[in-house]
Amino acid sequence: MKYLKKIAALSFATLLGGAIVVSGAGCAEKKQTVVLRVCNWEEYIDLGDWDSEELIDIDNPFSDEGEGVFGDNSIVDDFTEWFNAEHDYKVEVEYSTFGTNEDLYNRLSLGDEYDLVCPSDYMLMKLIDEGNYVPFSEEFLDADREGNYYAQGVSRYIDCGEDSIFVEYGWSGIAACYMWGTTGLVYNPEQLQDVSDVASWDMLANENYKRQVTIKDNVRDAYFATLGIINSEKLKGGLSAEERSTVLNDTDDGTIAAAEDMLKRIKENVYSFETDSGKADMVTGKVIANLQWSGDAVYIMDEADAEETELWYSVPDECTNLWFDGWLMLKDGVEGNERRQQAAEAFVNFLSRPDNAVRNMYYIGYTSAVADGMVFDYMDWNYGAEEDEEEIFEYDLSYFFGEGYSLTTGTADFEFEDGSGAINRGRQLFAQYPPANVIERSVVMLDFGDRLSVINGMWINVRCLDVKDISPVVWGVVSALAALSAGGVCLYVFRYKLFIKSRPKKGYEKIENK
Amino acid sequence: MKLRFNRKQLCIPYAVFLVFFVLAPLFVILYYAFTDGQGKISFSNFANFFTNTNTLGTLLYSFSLAIVTTLVCLVIAYPTAYILARSNLKKKYVLLLLFILPMWINFTLRITALKEILSLLEGNISAYPFLNSVIGMTYDFMPFMILPLYTSLLKLDKSLLEAASDLGGNKLTVFLRVTLPLSVPGIISGMTMVLLPSMTNYVVLDMLYNSTYIMGSLIGSYFSAYDWNNGSMISLVLLVIIFIVTLVTNRFSDKDSNARGAVL
Repeated sequence: MKYLKKIAALSFATLLGGAIVVSGAGCAEKKQTVVLRVCNWEEYIDLGDWDSEELIDIDNPFSDEGEGVFGDNSIVDDFTEWFNAEHDYKVEVEYSTFGTNEDLYNRLSLGDEYDLVCPSDYMLMKLIDEGNYVPFSEEFLDADREGNYYAQGVSRYIDCGEDSIFVEYGWSGIAACYMWGTTGLVYNPEQLQDVSDVASWDMLANENYKRQVTIKDNVRDAYFATLGIINSEKLKGGLSAEERSTVLNDTDDGTIAAAEDMLKRIKENVYSFETDSGKADMVTGKVIANLQWSGDAVYIMDEADAEETELWYSVPDECTNLWFDGWLMLKDGVEGNERRQQAAEAFVNFLSRPDNAVRNMYYIGYTSAVADGMVFDYMDWNYGAEEDEEEIFEYDLSYFFGEGYSLTTGTADFEFEDGSGAINRGRQLFAQYPPANVIERSVVMLDFGDRLSVINGMWINVRCLDVKDISPVVWGVVSALAALSAGGVCLYVFRYKLFIKSRPKKGYEKIENK
Repeated sequence: MKLRFNRKQLCIPYAVFLVFFVLAPLFVILYYAFTDGQGKISFSNFANFFTNTNTLGTLLYSFSLAIVTTLVCLVIAYPTAYILARSNLKKKYVLLLLFILPMWINFTLRITALKEILSLLEGNISAYPFLNSVIGMTYDFMPFMILPLYTSLLKLDKSLLEAASDLGGNKLTVFLRVTLPLSVPGIISGMTMVLLPSMTNYVVLDMLYNSTYIMGSLIGSYFSAYDWNNGSMISLVLLVIIFIVTLVTNRFSDKDSNARGAVL
């Protein structure tokens, strides 16, 4: 018995010892983990899981096996895998999404903490003004360093170039552009009375299309379009870039009042103010035109193509809102945490890697800020002219991709103005990369700043029923109804006093009277 | 050691829930409602509510929408509940289930389906925003009206009805003098359950393309302009209004249970 016990104790000890050694080895291999909290727009990144026929067949130097771009796993998972293989510590991405810029801002002011967020231009401005950011490191901006896909790939038109927009507005080195685009009108050419109707923002207030056009349920986009309508003559007359920017960023009381009147007209005229339903309504043909961001326009046109409806995208002659969504590292999360900053910068770089840029563009329909040759190949693969196509022309993209880049494509998807040959309406390629003449009349819309409350007041005036506006007829009917029901209640309450002389105290009395 | 619970301790979970998710947010709303942006105490939000014609107009609009919805619900639900409760069908629970069934489907899904149906019927649905909102809300809240009515009508003692008709009342008199007064508690609770949520349920309006704001969307628009103070004040006033409505209706139904005693 004693012997047995001894063996048991011995074997137990060996087991225990072994376990300790094993776990010790595990500890040595275990890396430290950095948590990266990313907050991006909803549906704004490739989630993978593509069908096999969705393979994008272009040269891909980043893929190990075979050619082409293919989304197997989500980009976030791919990033984690890629990062962990290359670094001596691990990263774990907590990925969350927001629906509107205001939603993100409110969450930040309520104390939610994120390391890397992707708001639009004006929200970037607001956050930068408030000092809630950490600038990107010098290494990140060094285009010669290997793996700096952002600095190498971003279009010199948008960032890192001498006259680039991010440099001009002072966002360069602070924010990194992710997607960009314009605003315009998606429309169904077959149902228009005259195609020149969509050449103006006035389409929204055009009574020939009563309740057939939708507008975004968003103060900024609605206000911008309204300023386009109000200043139509001026803007079409040709203004310098500066003047145009002043006109379209005007928040004087007089301008706001004028916009309010116009928006009230628009409200009576449009089908709806939509947050997301406009896409489906456009595809199903409930409406014939729709104010849209260019990326969603591409998505809508793709969807409609699948339903065999041909939709087009028009940038009105007055102006278009050139917008950007960019990555910003937030102070609370990143400051003083070198590894986390490194991970955040790696995340931006990974998204800017040309194959991932293509994946995202394919998946969400928006246009990446990356101007690599591979993105151009993807455009060519998508929209380039077929060999047997007869009417082709060169679509100039040199402003974005650099000298010498122009895409040979069919003319069927573009509408050329008589005389000048300028393109103001077109299909997917036009929406993704507006031509130079559209860029010329584009304006970056700045943050409203402290005028926001006035503009929101205007918006509430437009959207709410004002007691003062209720017509006397309605007042009459309502008060008559109220009086009637009050009278009815009185009659009911005092029914015994008024109609039945003595209140029947006992049932049998009443029957006897009968 | 012996674990002992008395009845009071059993409500601890709910009390915790109440403190964290009802009371605490309420104090936050109170704080925001009576301060300005800088954290100083201010009554300007309160004054703003009653001087801003938009807010009052929206309140009126929400109220009329809610009242019309409630009345439509009542008119449709009462006969339904009456027939269901009165019927001698063995399978009336199955029938009731048919009316409750829509509640098991997500409501955005239901409203989306409704949108398509209305588009078929009306053509361009954006031309009738008020009507569509009423239809949408009626569709959404109908079960809340049917259920209390059904239970109060089911509870109704049949011998009372027999007695009434034995004593010479025709069918109409029996209904008006016995059934209807006895179902008032059901009517009241059904009405509160429909009236209150339909004052703020702006998702239905959004989905059915009513571009006029009701209280819920107005609060949302203040919040998206980072104006927590005015938004909170509107929520608070709305809360007080709802509280008053509940108080009044509670009294009403209490009085009627006394009235029932009188009938008996």
